[in-house]
Amino acid sequence: MRGGFFLTSLFIVKSASTAIDLQSVSKRYGSKNIIHDVSFSVQKGEIVGFLGPNGAGKTTTMRMIAGFTTATSGRITVAGYDMATQNSDAARSLGYLPEQPPLYDVLEVSAYLRFVAKVKGIASASIAAELDRVIQACRLEAVVTREIYKLSKGYRQRVGLAQALLGTPEVLLLDEPTAGLDPGQIQETREVIRAVGQDHAVLLSTHILHEVTLICQRVAIINNGRLLAIDSPQGLQRASEKTNRVSLLATGPAAAMRESILSIDGVKSVNIRASANDVDLQEIECQVDAEEGIEASIARAIASRWALHRLERQQPTLENVFLRYVSENLHTGIAA
Amino acid sequence: MPRASQLNGVFAIYQKELATYFRSPIAYFVIAVFLLGTGYFFIYNIFLTGVGTMDETFQNMGILLLTLMPVMTMRLFSGEYSGRTMELLMTLPLAPWQIVIGKFLGAVTMLLLMTAATAINLVPLYLFGNPDSSTILSGYLGFILLGMACLAVGQFFSALTQNQIVAALITIPVLLGFWFIGHLQSFQTAPHLRELFGYLSFALHFGDFIRGLVRSEAIVFYIVVSAVALTLNTSYLKWQR
Repeated sequence: MRGGFFLTSLFIVKSASTAIDLQSVSKRYGSKNIIHDVSFSVQKGEIVGFLGPNGAGKTTTMRMIAGFTTATSGRITVAGYDMATQNSDAARSLGYLPEQPPLYDVLEVSAYLRFVAKVKGIASASIAAELDRVIQACRLEAVVTREIYKLSKGYRQRVGLAQALLGTPEVLLLDEPTAGLDPGQIQETREVIRAVGQDHAVLLSTHILHEVTLICQRVAIINNGRLLAIDSPQGLQRASEKTNRVSLLATGPAAAMRESILSIDGVKSVNIRASANDVDLQEIECQVDAEEGIEASIARAIASRWALHRLERQQPTLENVFLRYVSENLHTGIAA
Repeated sequence: MPRASQLNGVFAIYQKELATYFRSPIAYFVIAVFLLGTGYFFIYNIFLTGVGTMDETFQNMGILLLTLMPVMTMRLFSGEYSGRTMELLMTLPLAPWQIVIGKFLGAVTMLLLMTAATAINLVPLYLFGNPDSSTILSGYLGFILLGMACLAVGQFFSALTQNQIVAALITIPVLLGFWFIGHLQSFQTAPHLRELFGYLSFALHFGDFIRGLVRSEAIVFYIVVSAVALTLNTSYLKWQR
């Protein structure tokens, strides 16, 4: 019995913070392997971006977490419930916006949302208040009584999002939530997601890289059904390149400045040449380790003795990181 | 015994189904064709032959039912697939059986409404004739049981395809097959086969009800057909995951 108790308490501790957990999850359709051995987890209060080119396996992974399809092997838990055995308990803690918003065209927006609220088991006394909440959050006030088939694409997407938010589920799965929205709507939708992400776990798939840096604490990169990396956007950028380039514009003696910069820890090389436009200006290029704070040390060293006009750290953009991961995987995929 | 919360799920599906029927032209079309057809057969059978019974009318209503119920059920699952809403239903806290039962109850409600509307034919029958009420009641009972079996079969086939027309086109011949299978009796000499064909026949069981014969065997037959179709429907949804 003691062992049993121990296991249960472990389980509870785990479920308190881990909202989504995938352990070596694979999916096969016939002989085709769609998802290979994917493991990651999303904590409560965290927004994780799920990034990958079209056809990488984002939607399939989302569908497995949502319980629309089952994993061929591996284990998925949502809010502590095993998707394989406690599907309906897990479904109660889950809000899901599929790639195409699942809407009943003939129903009015309010009738549709009321239907979903009832199925989610929201008490009938609080349904009206809950509907008002999501209608406000998704800015649907103007279309509440309209039939869904009459709505524009942006509104359809937001009705789908409102449906997912009903009942404030612990876990939100959003498959390309901003697809088809205009820039203003995208802004609003991001605000909604960011607000929800404060105390819920959000897994959000997208192929807009910019979106990820704006709202996600962590990014999971997936391609060809394999998870390639999962880290914070900054972490991914740091890890992808061992050295960064810092470029400066300063006035001062070249040799002395080179000496001064080279003496700083983490600086690998310095290259100085006189500016073509202004003979007093020196253009300095440094190769430095990919660590925070080095450019500040360089700035201090130069500015304390000479004149510093400009300093720039050139980091790889997330685009570069993403493309590198994806293309590397492509090559290894061909080799394998 | 299902818990109250599970019945709430069934009820939510049921309400959604009814709301959908009343917003779709197809349900109105089916009801209109059914009532026009029934009215025509009634007038034809009663006024042209001068016989004050519902026997022939029920017989014709039965065949009308076989062709119209598939049109009523064809969208039940095909529409959810093509509208991408199946992904919602299967990821909400709903078990497949709740979806299947909720949809079935919705369809049965439409059947009951349709059937109730035909009662207007009874007004002249009772005004100008002296019909046997118990025969009419048993005829209606048989009609509703037959309709339920047709709905369950149609609902199952609708789950197999995302094309509504295909769903209807599969269901109609299957139902007609069940209706006419009794005719195969004439071609069989083996008594067991004759018995089997007779037992499977929608028409022969229905004929008993029309003649005022309420046999428990016939009631059980239609209920079993419905139950088998609904169970297959549920299993298929589970298997799809």
